[in-house]
Amino acid sequence: MTDTMVLFLRRVGAYGLFFVDCMRSSWRHGVRWQRVMEQAESLGVRAFPVLAIMAIFVGTNLAIQGFGAFRSLGAQHLLGMFVALAGVREVCPLLAGTMVAAKGGTEMTAQLAVMRTKEQIDALEVMAVDPRAELVTPSLLAILIVLPALTIIGIALSIFSALVVAVLQLHVDVGQFVAFCFEYIEMRDLVAALVKSLAFGAVIATVSGYFGFFSERGPAGVGRATNRAVVVMCIVCVCINFILSAVFYG
Amino acid sequence: MGFTAPAAAAQGPVMGLGRFATFVFSVLSAIVSGRWSPRETLRQASTITTRCFLPVNVTIFPFGAVMGLQGMRILDLFSAHHLVSSLLAQFIVQELGPVLAAVLVAAQGGSSFAAELGTMRIKEEIDATEVMAVDPIGWHVAPRILAMALVVPLLTVVANAFGLAGGWTVAVGLYDQSHGVFMAHLVEIIGLYDLSCSALKGLFFGVLIGGIATYRGFTARGGAEGVGRAVNDTVVLSVVLILVFNYLLSSLLYGGAA
Repeated sequence: MTDTMVLFLRRVGAYGLFFVDCMRSSWRHGVRWQRVMEQAESLGVRAFPVLAIMAIFVGTNLAIQGFGAFRSLGAQHLLGMFVALAGVREVCPLLAGTMVAAKGGTEMTAQLAVMRTKEQIDALEVMAVDPRAELVTPSLLAILIVLPALTIIGIALSIFSALVVAVLQLHVDVGQFVAFCFEYIEMRDLVAALVKSLAFGAVIATVSGYFGFFSERGPAGVGRATNRAVVVMCIVCVCINFILSAVFYG
Repeated sequence: MGFTAPAAAAQGPVMGLGRFATFVFSVLSAIVSGRWSPRETLRQASTITTRCFLPVNVTIFPFGAVMGLQGMRILDLFSAHHLVSSLLAQFIVQELGPVLAAVLVAAQGGSSFAAELGTMRIKEEIDATEVMAVDPIGWHVAPRILAMALVVPLLTVVANAFGLAGGWTVAVGLYDQSHGVFMAHLVEIIGLYDLSCSALKGLFFGVLIGGIATYRGFTARGGAEGVGRAVNDTVVLSVVLILVFNYLLSSLLYGGAA
């Protein structure tokens, strides 16, 4: 038990050092904006279709369940408020975060782990190119650019699909839905959602970078690194979500 | 010429669908005729359970806590925060428990199934099994699907409990609601029917994940890269289909239309 605790703490420490190293090396070597944009395109544009489908179907279910919950209070006209609050404050930032973690994050981990296995990272070091500034920092910045945008798109799509379900399937009045939707959403909520998505982005990029960068060599090591990275990212994102929610709304 | 182009374009998906149907049919016939290994099924089931138990529960606990936090604030508008456990129970048992358990099982167990079967296909181990007159469907595929069908409902039930525990921590621990009020409104809204619906969703998602993962792995081709593609496709396709079917199942089970 103590052994696993020590191992865990050592991992956390190594992750912290890795994070600081990334910051310092990109500070020293400057940021390669062209690579940032390439990464932003591959992370954001390719995650978009899946995110869109997921946001739409999450919105439909928010509507169905919210309707059921509020009908028992005799307040089904408040469905718009419920969908907007739940979608903006909690569901959409997490949804976009986990989506990017599952697609972009794992891809990044696998790529770095393969480069580690094929000794390409060592080769970069030999050529006096800092592998962190070259490989990790651009992805970090790209995710920080892309994730807030995906979150906003997710919010819009999920509220729209909830509106469609509410009106066509549950026969809620359109005007009521839209009115309550906008009455309870404040700028504060959107800002909180964006702050959340920035925090998730930082976690996703650095955790997936860490697991890829320090993966064991060989195909089994690549698989294990990818798998661990996803689980750790999901758990850390959900925990951070709780802390941020408690800070903003607690 | 103008007619052949769309026909050729439609050929790919239609043939893929046909191959999938053949695959499903052979799996079903293997299961029905008893040509599958119970021991292998249990082994796979225990593998998925040990790999997914911790991630599912560690993820759903803070989720339940956040819902408790937000539910308190929303219900405060009606000064009805004693109803927070009913809200939590409904959302966790009907939606979040099954969906979160299934998504994490797809990411952990489904991807590893696709990777295992894909690697076996690439290394011609599946052909070797066939040569030895062992049916690869009954030996490799059916046990994995059955294991998923067994494990996902069980994990769903445990996840429900952990999610509610997360909500309890916030409501009773942080906001000083009485334990009795929380439990009373909880058992009032959640009965055996809701729990079985929840497990039923889990069962459905389990079969879905198992089917997609084994089909993608079994038909993988093109070396290590092909295995990677099979794994990626499995996760994306199962997560999307889980959400789509979740909408349909929720509409079916919980009314929807007033």
